[in-house]
Amino acid sequence: MHFLAPSLLLGLLAAALPAIIHRIGRRHARPIRFAAMELLLRAEHEVSARRRLRDALLLFARTGLAMALPLAFARPFAEVRSDLPAVTGRSQSAVVILDDSASMRRRRAEGGTPFEAARARARAVIEHLSADSDVALVLASEGSAAPIAELASDRARVVAALEAVPSSARRADFAAALRRATQILAGSTRADRLIYVATDLQAAGWDDVKPVAGPGAPQMVLLDASGGAAWTNRAVVALAAEPAPEEGAQGIAVIAEIVNFSPEQVRNLGVTLALDGAEVARGFVDVPAAGRARKRFVLTTAGGSAHEAEVAIDKDAFPLDDRRACLVEASRGLRVLIVDGDPRTVRTEDETFFLEAALRAGGSGFSVTSTLPDDLAGRDLSAFGAIFVANVNRPAPTVAAALIHYVETGGGLFISVGDRVDTDGWNQAAKAILPQPLGLKRSAAALPGAHTEGETVDLRPAERLAPIDRRHPLLSAFPARGDGLSSARFFQYMLLSPLPDAPGRQIVLRYESGAPALVEADVGRGRVLLLTTTVDREWTDLPIRPGFLPLIQEMARYLAGAPSGEAATAIAVGQKREIVLEPDDRRVEIVPPAGESRWLTPPARSGDAHARRTLTFAETDEPGFYRVRAARGDGTISERPDAAFVVNLDPRESDPTRLPDDKRPDRVTASGAAGAAPRRRLELWHALGAAAIALVLLESLLTLRFRRGRVKA
Amino acid sequence: MPTLALDPLDIALLESMSVRARVIVEGAFAGLHGNPHTGASIEFSEHKEYAPGDDIRRIDWKAVGRIDRYYLKRFEDETEMRSFLLLDSSASMGYGRKGVTKLAYASYLAAALAYLLAQQGDPAGLLVFDAETRQYLPPRTRGGHIRDLLVALDGVTPAGRTEPGRALAYVGELADRKSLVVLFSDLLDAPVDLADRLRQLRSRGHDVALFQILDPDEVSLPFDEVTDFEAIEPGDTRRLLVDPRDLAASFERESAALRERWRRICVEARVEYQFATTAQPPADVLRAFLFARQRARR
Repeated sequence: MHFLAPSLLLGLLAAALPAIIHRIGRRHARPIRFAAMELLLRAEHEVSARRRLRDALLLFARTGLAMALPLAFARPFAEVRSDLPAVTGRSQSAVVILDDSASMRRRRAEGGTPFEAARARARAVIEHLSADSDVALVLASEGSAAPIAELASDRARVVAALEAVPSSARRADFAAALRRATQILAGSTRADRLIYVATDLQAAGWDDVKPVAGPGAPQMVLLDASGGAAWTNRAVVALAAEPAPEEGAQGIAVIAEIVNFSPEQVRNLGVTLALDGAEVARGFVDVPAAGRARKRFVLTTAGGSAHEAEVAIDKDAFPLDDRRACLVEASRGLRVLIVDGDPRTVRTEDETFFLEAALRAGGSGFSVTSTLPDDLAGRDLSAFGAIFVANVNRPAPTVAAALIHYVETGGGLFISVGDRVDTDGWNQAAKAILPQPLGLKRSAAALPGAHTEGETVDLRPAERLAPIDRRHPLLSAFPARGDGLSSARFFQYMLLSPLPDAPGRQIVLRYESGAPALVEADVGRGRVLLLTTTVDREWTDLPIRPGFLPLIQEMARYLAGAPSGEAATAIAVGQKREIVLEPDDRRVEIVPPAGESRWLTPPARSGDAHARRTLTFAETDEPGFYRVRAARGDGTISERPDAAFVVNLDPRESDPTRLPDDKRPDRVTASGAAGAAPRRRLELWHALGAAAIALVLLESLLTLRFRRGRVKA
Repeated sequence: MPTLALDPLDIALLESMSVRARVIVEGAFAGLHGNPHTGASIEFSEHKEYAPGDDIRRIDWKAVGRIDRYYLKRFEDETEMRSFLLLDSSASMGYGRKGVTKLAYASYLAAALAYLLAQQGDPAGLLVFDAETRQYLPPRTRGGHIRDLLVALDGVTPAGRTEPGRALAYVGELADRKSLVVLFSDLLDAPVDLADRLRQLRSRGHDVALFQILDPDEVSLPFDEVTDFEAIEPGDTRRLLVDPRDLAASFERESAALRERWRRICVEARVEYQFATTAQPPADVLRAFLFARQRARR
């Protein structure tokens, strides 16, 4: 302990005064020879215990007061070794980045969560900054808003905002958080600008972070909240559903992929499947060290609606990733019928060769059936979730009627054209289901331009697709630039007769010329997609482009209206979900797994038909099932199981790999923030002053009570 | 009640015990004016000096023979009552911080009673005791006896420890016929067998009265600074250094409990109990005693 005014400690001698006064008082006691000693001793015996306690308390209070006052005036302080970086003591502009990502919610071996530890470290930094420093607060989770987005000198407000931050289930995105912090600090004129990152140092969130060095760049300080010990983890990182023919038409196989992030093999790990909240199967799986394992559950479900499936493994320190969910449907959603309008004896030349291959690709979960147009009339179309009609000459009246009925009752129909298509025949027989009437065939004009290296060279003049609009559910899985689709070349396509805008009809893909490539229309309760080119290589090389397979599979799922497996229905925490309104829907209600539901209403005035029919839900903060209910035009509210979706944890948050030291941005900062741990002055005189006040109160209370007792006597 | 009684300090200023006794008795009787009762005495209702016109048949001729003055006796129950006045002269009786000591006060009361008894021709004896009998004057009716008794009372000094039980036992042996036994003591350190002695005397037909005399300091503790109390009686080494203000309430309760205990003992033993502090006028105490006896006789 140290003192700013040690000479005042001489006042401690006053601590002896109460005892001295007490002794002097006793020494000068008046002697009296008293007759009623017996009465006196009895009275003394009666009150002695209480009196001694009171005397002891009074002596304590008075002696303590006599000590506390000179001690407080001597201004004592203690120097404690701080675990905060030395730089915190400097006057500075600082941005504190709090890692609130999902991995911070795990339980640490030493108790608590990294999030709690990170918050405590961040609070310590904020409180320890010099009084003239200013500070902002930014969160590290992807897409999170900054609680204090501007540098503020009101420390209490920043601390209050810090305390109010909940832990999220989102993935960490330090690149974005650091960009935000750098922007905030750019407005500061101080020489010292620092970014403190309170994190568990999980490597996953630092992928895209580039070290910022050089003069003027903010210094970065990482505050380790991991607790030091490496953590091991097991997680369900993927969940898919596929048909299980061995169980019949309603058979479904739910396949969970489990990762063991520990260096030791996990034996007999319990895996549980719950369907619609009820546990229906449990099994065990061995997962190799730092490896993966798949667990396949086969079950039979009631058809016609989606079921909530959740696979959970035995809990570990990070329970958030020990379960994963998806929506599954065993009915027609997985059954696809292909109508081949141009069959060939050579399989690779068949019109539907590429289409069938794309639908049968492993893991897609489709049950594909091929047929010829002439055989279509006798089939029960309602058993199929989607029907692909490829290059069919013209539908027979009975076939056209069956297709119209099929679509209007909720089926999904895909139509592609080709050399065999009789446009008039289609326009007459299937006018009710064509998004737009078919028109003339058009060949692409010769276009200049270099071919992409490695591209299959076809010297025919060709067009490409215009930039895609990823807001459409069919295209949301494609990269922003449309990789996989943009390289496709279209040598010939069919123009469509123009129609005025109509609700439920929209152009999904266009050619560079502006002509429609893929048109969508809602017909009755069903949906139709019209591709204005072929699905083989006759008019386009699209079938051999990387985007063909996902496009075809997404179209099949989209048409079936039946989410199948995690890919179609699940999004990661924090991602937005688009919900397409049914024609009669006025607004929709999103019911999250916990908390209050949220109503979404489409914009009242919007020229964009897509915007009018599509709502975006962004509050996907917690993993679990999100139900959707729609308010209809007639005032009724009904479930929209087709729009329900699942939010799962980003699997990257499950990886406990620690950020290597050589990639730590604080180690590569030019000036370096590391330094000797500072000593922090802990001022004690405030506490002593408070103690003196308390002692005065105690002495006053005792004396008052003492006097009251005498007055009563 | 209006009274002409002098307080103890004034009485102490009087020159001799005989004067004090007469003043006290006169003070006691002076207070009777206006009282609806006819009068008070030890064993009869009233003495009245003869006046022309009174019935000469009611002249108390015994009194004429003893004191050579004419008195009328209205209700005479007994012809002669032997009385023993027992005075505790132990050291504790010597306590008196502001006024007279308890011993002096008790002496005044004893003198007044002796004077009154002598006035009515009853023989009164005196036993001064502490742990032992220090002085004994047997009851007599001769002319100079009352003077000897008053002189003896005037010369009593406090000393020694107290043993009132032994004094009572001694009187029990001396009193061969029905007598009045009056004990003056503070009873602060009186042993429990004193109650038995009182009952024994009563069972033998004696009339017993007990005056408990305390200093006001022994009723409520008035001290207001740290005090070193030490026992007053020889051989008692008890001491207590204390702030008396801490003990005042408890002491007052203990003192009241002591008095209540002796009052209850006396009631149970059918002994007349009188309590007095040395601050009270002795005449008032004497009058209260006479009234109490008168009520008891009714």
